[in-house]
Amino acid sequence: MQAWLEKVAKMFDMAFVSGERWKLYIKGLGVTLEIALFAAVLGLAIGTVVALMKLSTNKKGGKSIWARVANVYIDIIRGTPSVLQLLIMWFIILKSCKNGVLVAVLSFGINSGAYVAEIVRAGILAVDKGQTEAGRSLGLSKVQTMIYIVLPQAIKNVLPPIGNEFIVLLKETAIVGYVSLTDLTRAANQISSRTYEAFMPLIGAAVIYFVIIKILTILLEKLERRLRKSDNR
Amino acid sequence: MIIVKDLHKKFENNHVLRGVNYHVHQGEKIVIVGPSGSGKSTFLRCLNLLETPTSGEIWFDGQLITDPKVNIDKIREHMGMVFQNFNLFNNLSIMDNITLAPVKLKLMSKEEASENALSLLARVGLKEKADAYPSQLSGGQKQRIAIVRSLAMNPRVMLFDEPTSALDPEMVGEVLDVMKGLADSGMTMVVVTHEMGFAREVGTKVLFMDEGIIMEENTPAEFFSNPQCQRLQDFLSKVL
Repeated sequence: MQAWLEKVAKMFDMAFVSGERWKLYIKGLGVTLEIALFAAVLGLAIGTVVALMKLSTNKKGGKSIWARVANVYIDIIRGTPSVLQLLIMWFIILKSCKNGVLVAVLSFGINSGAYVAEIVRAGILAVDKGQTEAGRSLGLSKVQTMIYIVLPQAIKNVLPPIGNEFIVLLKETAIVGYVSLTDLTRAANQISSRTYEAFMPLIGAAVIYFVIIKILTILLEKLERRLRKSDNR
Repeated sequence: MIIVKDLHKKFENNHVLRGVNYHVHQGEKIVIVGPSGSGKSTFLRCLNLLETPTSGEIWFDGQLITDPKVNIDKIREHMGMVFQNFNLFNNLSIMDNITLAPVKLKLMSKEEASENALSLLARVGLKEKADAYPSQLSGGQKQRIAIVRSLAMNPRVMLFDEPTSALDPEMVGEVLDVMKGLADSGMTMVVVTHEMGFAREVGTKVLFMDEGIIMEENTPAEFFSNPQCQRLQDFLSKVL
């Protein structure tokens, strides 16, 4: 028992303490969170715009040119692996850009936007058509009706799936090691290859992801409850 | 005030309106009755272009509003509409429901609009509900608020699309009372309804629509006591 405990303590020391290795995890986590946060904001912005594009109609009530463009974007993004999108962004499209984090943010933001677009579109369609008709019948324009009446109600509809998308995005950033960024996953991996001991670093990184996502989940639930309360339904 | 010429509306292969002609004069209260599927709601929704007519002309105050170049938002400011399902904005308080359009369209300042809203709410006996949300109200209250919301725009004409059809029976009266008050104040109204009592009492003209045309038009007294066409006689024998 004594020997086993000593072994565990040594493993822990190697993985986290000696050489101030814990700093590497924190630095890695910083990169992970930085990419995830900015990509989420970018994805939300792209997704909302693309959702509105996809819902736009031409004068005859058919699909507009904007809707077709949106469809092509969504098809391409959803039809290819995100790792490949990241590699293509890094090695081809933004070859001259030396800021890896920026490339990752763009890549993940553009990727997430396609999924967010479908979520937002569903949220808008779930708002009763009568709300739009009432707005338009009062003389409000299409845009005013969308901004003041439909979107605020759509946000409530989309919060749970958007939260889910953020969580997926946060974990998806674990692939940025492919473009030689040191995020949490890569930091753990590097340490395990330096100490020839995989258990502590990998499990440790997993626990950190888990805790971060648990906190995110709790915050999202709180936000959802608050929005429901003002709803009084 | 509203002139409709040879109005047609097709949905896919369904020819709903097959040539409607009518002239609504200032101050009239036109009540439209007819069996379901007769096109009466579609006709009403064409008047403010919530449905785009397939062909035909609609003139409002001397302006051809079916012309694609017309800014329909401007026209709609002068045409109030009340829906079967109320369609109050669920995300806004009653006060904001009423003031949103006048304020955002820059017709009134926020203060003016609030003041106006409160006096209109007082008129329908719902002043204390200004800060409530739609979900906290009964159907009858919602519909009275929906009428107030339209009135807050000072419309020249009010369109009612089966305003009491989604209400519990005991709430029909309170909504009809508000509509009667509105009629007495001289508002021009076009009302699609199944309330024959209202048609008889308030209407200046009653129209019978079936198969996408206006089959009969008469004063309420003649309409109910002396129906001319067979379809209307059958209809009245079923509903009265």
